[in-house]
Amino acid sequence: MNICRYAQVRSGAVARARAELTIASDRLDCSQEELHKMRKEIVNILSRYLNLDSDRFEVRMDIVYEIKQGVQDVKTIQIK
Amino acid sequence: MSQVIVITSGKGGVGKTTSTANIGTGLARLNKKVVLIDTDIGLRNLDVVMGLENRIIYNLVDVIEGNCRIRQALIKDKHYPNLYLLPSAQTRDKSAVSPEQMIKLVDGLKPLFDYILLDCPAGIEQGFRNAIAAADQAIVVTTPEVSAIRDADRIIGLLEADGMRKIDLVLNRIRVDMVERGEMMSIEDVLEILAINLLGAIPDEESIVVAANHGEPVVGSDTLAGQAYLNIARRLTGETVPLLELQQRTSLLQRMSAFFKKK
Repeated sequence: MNICRYAQVRSGAVARARAELTIASDRLDCSQEELHKMRKEIVNILSRYLNLDSDRFEVRMDIVYEIKQGVQDVKTIQIK
Repeated sequence: MSQVIVITSGKGGVGKTTSTANIGTGLARLNKKVVLIDTDIGLRNLDVVMGLENRIIYNLVDVIEGNCRIRQALIKDKHYPNLYLLPSAQTRDKSAVSPEQMIKLVDGLKPLFDYILLDCPAGIEQGFRNAIAAADQAIVVTTPEVSAIRDADRIIGLLEADGMRKIDLVLNRIRVDMVERGEMMSIEDVLEILAINLLGAIPDEESIVVAANHGEPVVGSDTLAGQAYLNIARRLTGETVPLLELQQRTSLLQRMSAFFKKK
């Protein structure tokens, strides 16, 4: 384990981020494998309509999950 | 009107049985008529935590199968005459009982008690389904760990899908020293993730282990955990109780000055 005094990330914050991400994934009922397949299919669809140089083109997908107290959950998938 | 509360968590070992015993005893201390029902068929534990393991004659399955009357199976608590335990069966499994049978059993108890607490087994299968069937509110117990919170979230989803109208959270095993150092998720962290009402937070204390060894609940004792559990019982009765200050006095000097200030 790398213990660097000046760049230490607290495990509590790590745990929170991991919990949020895992729960977001669970709630969307979409595992990492399914996200990966979705990404590949999206690239294929985009390639049909756009002239994409596949060497220099990248699709990044992140699940952004916000929980608002008392309000419906907001789930968005950002595609760049 | 009798309140029927299921204490559940999804994850095992987070403190459902301990919480059931302590919250139930807390309510009894507040002069309510309380029955605790262990619905973990095959792996009964509530009897041991309550220290009543040597007094079992009949159990939940006996009542449901008609081998005895319900009053014969109820065990009176050692200390509180208004507190009873309906133990589970150790040599059967969860298929011995159905949700409909649980509802019928609980209906039979409603005229006798102010509070009926159902200790739910871990998991989301038959045992869980049996325990939540008769309940009209739920307490979800979790600890500040990723796996426990993930399971708690799943359980909350299942409870909401089942139409459970009131779901509260008990956060167990908080280590205030670790939270302060940033090495454990805080109460606020957990509440922001799970987004349900906090009923109470219990610190991780030796007193709970010692009490369990004796088969005595810790509620009402002069420990932080005991006070925290009593506060939860008070909140259930509708009282507004501020959250306990869980700060621990860490330095020797602070501990010494606290000792001299003690009433």
